[in-house]
Amino acid sequence: MAQILVAVVMICFFLMKLYWQKRKGAVSSAEFIFWLVFWFGTLILVLLLKPLDRFVASLGFSVSAIQVAVYLAIAILFYFIFRLRLKLEKMEESLTKINEALTKTKSQPEKDL
Amino acid sequence: MKVSVIVPAYNEERWIFKVVQEIIRAGYDVLVVDDCSKDRTVELASKAGAHVLCHVINRGQGAALRTGTNWSLKHGADIVVHFDADGQFRVEDVARVIQPITHGTADIVLGSRFLDRTTNVPLGKRFLLMPLARIINDLLFGVRLSDPQSGFRAFTASVGHQLYWRQDRMAHASELLALMVRGHWRIQEVPITVIYHEFGQGFFGGLKILKDLFLKRLG
Repeated sequence: MAQILVAVVMICFFLMKLYWQKRKGAVSSAEFIFWLVFWFGTLILVLLLKPLDRFVASLGFSVSAIQVAVYLAIAILFYFIFRLRLKLEKMEESLTKINEALTKTKSQPEKDL
Repeated sequence: MKVSVIVPAYNEERWIFKVVQEIIRAGYDVLVVDDCSKDRTVELASKAGAHVLCHVINRGQGAALRTGTNWSLKHGADIVVHFDADGQFRVEDVARVIQPITHGTADIVLGSRFLDRTTNVPLGKRFLLMPLARIINDLLFGVRLSDPQSGFRAFTASVGHQLYWRQDRMAHASELLALMVRGHWRIQEVPITVIYHEFGQGFFGGLKILKDLFLKRLG
């Protein structure tokens, strides 16, 4: 019970921080909605641990709901890292294009190439 | 026919003066693309008589070659030659590489270290890395050429206008081969001699090339 209480307090703290950041305009609407859904989802998971354990067991998993959530979170994190790598690749490509446009001529022999 | 020899260079103060002088002495126009070197590469290349373009940030050999190729094509080059700055290629081989193009028998000519025995390729490269690279090139891109990582190549302006490689760093060599094969141009390989001063791309360099090719393919 105490563990659930600590988790709920922490989630409420993060939700409040999110709300204040939104009020200050530090996060975009899309980002705000993403994190809101994320923290509410976590809150539901924490509050409904027992029924979720039964649900996960009914699906055939031999581990608890919280463990399934951790495994899922790791898989999702890997996916995000992969997406980030692809985005970085695109940015690198753009950077190269800008670099080429900014290329300076240092010396020009009399006869042009 | 205007032949433009493009030399991408990054911290090549040891060799660049000699390389540029030899190319000019052989009668070719030389364009050095400095990839933001921290040493005297730009100064020495200019002093030797090259036209020098400078990247404002380091972007890799593939990017430098693209900058040089685009610039040369814009300035009327009929044949573009890619040539290394580290003194490992021989200027005498430029004539050999461009000959099939000037004779009209090829659109692209690739220098190969493996068509004769004049190059003393390090054993690890000859018997391990290169066979592995050949298999990967064949499986991933359908490229079946004797030298899977040659940086010595020449192509016509018409090919150059259609070639667009996206790899900025060392993986450009594999990507270029794949694009050339896919473009259905007339490709010819000619033997060249490489004088090894250092080992070059090792096993981990090869892995990095594979990772870059994989990411770009997905991106």
